[in-house]
Amino acid sequence: MARHLSHYCIIVFLLLSSTFATANEEAVALLTKIDELYRSDSSISTMKMQIVTPNWERTLEMQSWTIGMDDTFIRILSPKKDQGVATLKKDREMWNYFPKINKVIKVPPSMMMGSWMGSDFTNDDLVREVSLVKEYHVEKEDFEGKHKLTLTPKESTVTVWGRIEILVEKESLLPIEQRYFNDKGEKVRSMYFSDIKTFSGKRLPSKMSMVPHNKEHHKTVIEYVELTFDTEIDDSIFTLRNLKKRYK
Amino acid sequence: MLVITLALRNILRNRRRSLLTILSMGGGYVLLSFMMAMTEGSYSNMIDLFTRDHTGHVQIHHSNYLDRPSLYKTINNSRELINELQKNSMVKGIAPRVYAPSLAYGKEKTFPASVIGIDPQLEAETTYLKNKVKQGEYLAKGMTASGYFPAMIGHTLAKNLHLTVGDELVLISQGIDGSIANDIFKISAIVGTSESYERMNVYLSLDAMHQFLSMGDQVHELAIRLNHQSEARSYAQQLQVELNQQPNNQNDHIGLNAKPWQVVEEAFYKGMQADKQGNYLSMGILIFIVSIGVLNTILMGILERTREFGVLKAIGTRPMAVFRLIMLESFLLALASCLFGLIFALPANLWLSRVGITLPEPIDMGGIAFETMLGEISMFSMGAPALVVIGSTLLVSLVPGIRASRISPLQALQAA
Repeated sequence: MARHLSHYCIIVFLLLSSTFATANEEAVALLTKIDELYRSDSSISTMKMQIVTPNWERTLEMQSWTIGMDDTFIRILSPKKDQGVATLKKDREMWNYFPKINKVIKVPPSMMMGSWMGSDFTNDDLVREVSLVKEYHVEKEDFEGKHKLTLTPKESTVTVWGRIEILVEKESLLPIEQRYFNDKGEKVRSMYFSDIKTFSGKRLPSKMSMVPHNKEHHKTVIEYVELTFDTEIDDSIFTLRNLKKRYK
Repeated sequence: MLVITLALRNILRNRRRSLLTILSMGGGYVLLSFMMAMTEGSYSNMIDLFTRDHTGHVQIHHSNYLDRPSLYKTINNSRELINELQKNSMVKGIAPRVYAPSLAYGKEKTFPASVIGIDPQLEAETTYLKNKVKQGEYLAKGMTASGYFPAMIGHTLAKNLHLTVGDELVLISQGIDGSIANDIFKISAIVGTSESYERMNVYLSLDAMHQFLSMGDQVHELAIRLNHQSEARSYAQQLQVELNQQPNNQNDHIGLNAKPWQVVEEAFYKGMQADKQGNYLSMGILIFIVSIGVLNTILMGILERTREFGVLKAIGTRPMAVFRLIMLESFLLALASCLFGLIFALPANLWLSRVGITLPEPIDMGGIAFETMLGEISMFSMGAPALVVIGSTLLVSLVPGIRASRISPLQALQAA
C-alpha cells in the first residue's frame, strides 16, 4: 500500500512537472522562433535605416549577410558619404571599416552598448550577440490575443538589461513590441514591430522602430527591403580581408 | 586774495626749506606714478598677450555652450553675422571657430585631439596663431594638389603621434548628422610649443571642417578682437542687446550670448584680480610712506614758525584765517611738487611705455616670447599720484594747522 502510495506520488509529481515543463517549453519555443525570426541558418538582406533626432535626420541603406547567430557582415550602400563603411562581427568580436581612411577599427567589448553609426541601435543589437534563449529565463503570460514573454537574465549572462518583455500576437505568433528595462526596473527603450510582409516564404514584420525613453524625439526605424533565407553564403564574406575590400 | 599773497610770500621767504619740501614730495609723486605705470602696464600687457593668444576680447556662443559644449549648439548663418559685426569700428578682428573632439591616428598610436575649424585669414587677424607656426606653412584654404585638406597640428600631439610636416593625419570624430566623420589630412604645419594652448590641437580650415562634420554654414564660436581689452565689458553688453534685438523674421541669432574675456576666462581673470589686490596693498604702503615724509616736512615747517603765528594772532588775525593760510601754503607746495614731479615722471614714463625694460630672461607665454616690460601711460597713472600727494598733504596739514590757529600769542612768543 505504502509502495502504491509512493508510486502514486511520483506519478503525480511527474505529471505536474511535465505540465509545468510544457508551459515553459512553449515559452522557450516561442522565444526561439523570435530569436531566429530574422536569421535562420543564413540570410542576406537589404535594409533602410532611418535615424531621427531633434537635431538631424538621415537615412542609410545597407546590405547584410548573416550565418546563424555568430557571424554578421554589414555594408553601407548610401548615402555617398558613408558608402562602403562596413561592420563585421565574428563570434564575440566586432570590427568597423572606414574606406576613406582605409582603417579597420575594432569595437571593444565595452563599446558593445554604444550607438551604431549614431542610431538608437547599439552595436550589440545589430550583431545580436546574445541568443535570447540561451541567455535568459523566460516566463509566458496570456492576454487578450497576445502572449507576454518576460525574460530575466540567467546568472551567467552578461547584460545591461534587467528584464525584457516581448509582446507576441497569438494568431501569427509574431512579435508586436519588445520592451527593455534596466536593472532598476525602469523602461529604457521599446522596439515596435510592424508592416508584416513575406520574405522567402516566411512572414515577418518588415519594420522595426526603436524608441529610447530617456531621449526625447529620438527614433530609429529599420525597414527590410529584401530578405532571403538559407542561401549559400561563402565563408570568405566573414573575414577581415573582405571587410577591407574596397567597395565599388 | 590777501591770503594768497601771504602764502606765496611765506613759501618764497624760506626758499631752501620750500625746495626741500618740494623735492621730497615730488620724489614721492615720481615714485608712485612710476609704480602705477609699471603695474598697469604689465597687467594690460599680460591681458593683451593672453587675449590675443586664442581667447579674443569678446566671444559669442549659442546658449550655454561655454559651460556645456555640444556639437549641436551652433551659431547659424555665421557669414552674415560676421559681416554685420565687422561694420562696427570697435571690432578689429573676428574669428569663427568650430570645435570637435576627435581621435587622431599617427603611424602606430592613437591620441585624443581637439580639432578646431578656423578661417585662416580671420584667425590671423584676431590671434597670434599664425606667429606660432614652428615648422611648415600656415594653414591655407582649399585642398592641396594631392586632393587632401591641409591640417596644422599641435607640437605635443605631433610628437606623440610621431608625425611631422608632410605626413598624413587620420581623424575620426562624430558628424553633426550622427555619421562617423573620418578623413585623411595632410599636415602643413606644426604649431606652438609643449606648453602652449595648441599643444594637443589640430587646426583645419572651415571648409574642411564643415565637410568633415557634414555641417552647413555653422560655427560654435566667434572670437572678437577690439581696439583695446578695456573695452571688452562694455562692448559685450552692447552686443548682447543687439543680438537680442534681431528682427523676428530671422531668428538665427536668437539665443546667442556675448561674453567678455573676463567671463570666458574666469579663472585667469580672478587670479589676476587677486594679484592686483596684493599690488594695491604694496601701493598703499608706498603712499603711507610718502605721506609720512610729507607730514614730517610740513610739521617741521610749521613748528619753526610758531613765533610767526603768535605775532599774527597778536595783531588780531582770526584763527580761521591762520588755518586757511597754512592749508593754502601746503596746497601750493603740493601743487608745485606735483608739477616738478611731472617734469621728471613724464619723460620716464613715456620711455617706459615706448621702450620698456628688457627682461634678462624672456618669459614664454604659450609660445609667444615676452621680452620687455612695458609701462602704460594714462590719465590714471599720472593723475592718481597727484591726487594722493595733494590729498595726503592737506590731510597731514590739518593737525598742525588747527594747532597753530588755536595757539595763544603769549605761549607762542614764549616758546621761541
